[in-house]
Amino acid sequence: MKEFSNRYIFLYITLLVVVTAVLLTGVHIGLKPRQEANQQIEKAQQILRAAGYGDVEKTVAAEKFSSVATRTERNGHEAYTIQCADGTEGTVIRVNGKGLWGPIWGYVVLADDQATIKGIVFSHKSETPGLGDKITQDKFTSSFIGKKIVDKNGNFVSVRVLQKGKENNIAEENRVDAISGATLTSKGVDAMLRNCLNEK
Amino acid sequence: MRKYLGPLSKDNPILVQILGVCSALAVTAQLKPAVVMTLSVMVVCAVANLVISLIRNTIPPRIRIIVQLLVVSTLVIVVDQVLQAVVYDVSKMLSVFVGLIITNCIIMGRLEAFALSHKPIPSFIDGLMNGAGYGLVLVIVAFFRELLGSGTLWNYPVIPSAFYEAGYMNNGLMILPPMALILVGTLVWIQNSKKINAK
Repeated sequence: MKEFSNRYIFLYITLLVVVTAVLLTGVHIGLKPRQEANQQIEKAQQILRAAGYGDVEKTVAAEKFSSVATRTERNGHEAYTIQCADGTEGTVIRVNGKGLWGPIWGYVVLADDQATIKGIVFSHKSETPGLGDKITQDKFTSSFIGKKIVDKNGNFVSVRVLQKGKENNIAEENRVDAISGATLTSKGVDAMLRNCLNEK
Repeated sequence: MRKYLGPLSKDNPILVQILGVCSALAVTAQLKPAVVMTLSVMVVCAVANLVISLIRNTIPPRIRIIVQLLVVSTLVIVVDQVLQAVVYDVSKMLSVFVGLIITNCIIMGRLEAFALSHKPIPSFIDGLMNGAGYGLVLVIVAFFRELLGSGTLWNYPVIPSAFYEAGYMNNGLMILPPMALILVGTLVWIQNSKKINAK
């Protein structure tokens, strides 16, 4: 076997690292615009779905979104004012939280009374398939529609995600059923909504 | 030519060498991510084999593993970036498993066993075929898991709604990783019984 000097080894690996670093930087910069466009489209699709527009095609989602929504802020966080599918005006609030395995996030559309949920969508990074990832499904998200984030006296309570029969002091209009088999993900959604919907 | 076809059956990386099982369990709940994963592994394995084979005479043996890892991880990051730009929804489904191709033993195994001692073109083909052998198992497993677990193939519903009305239900267990392990185990069993019968 051929002998290699230490000098050769150091030079060799340094050169290789420089070459690969330059290559990767090039690829990253070259593809970045398309990756960001993809993320924007996904976000537009999600918000439009929450606002009652159904599934909007990828190709038109960004355009449609900019025609109905305008960027605002709510307590310094990302929010939008949106013309909903039924003609009313709604407020879109971005929510961020922790699931069981990784981050979860979503968009809540509030009606113009700032208290009633018109629509909601959730996304997750890595919740358990078949259990925690059910938070993205219509069956779960549609249970939020019409719920209120304030109680009868106007105090903030959020929409709690609770097991059926637990904590009965919380009114029906302020709670939805948690997903069975996904207790921790459900708790994550609960905490996320409580933290992010609160005005204060 | 025959020796290159080995990875598809009697030398299959998953079924015979039991390599790359982790990702095979994780990305096979549906056909589409399984196929994208297959293509990714084929590309990484083939190109890594080609590159290592091209520079094989310049690599100091003492740092050859580091050089191999560097080449493989560079390729994997490139593939990951391309997936995020081109098929964003699938890349989200594959999540960390594209990154974990770096640690896939099939690739390191082929670099060590083949590319370091063979010419570039045979190395390239060897990488391609080993990726294909891995992918073949992925696609078979994903086919059954998606069909029985979700009632769809490539996201198109294939089980007629009359079945559901008659009381048929999708098997939720199919979507979870344990069922993938059982299916891979069944394929290993079939493969081994073929080998025994051939003797």
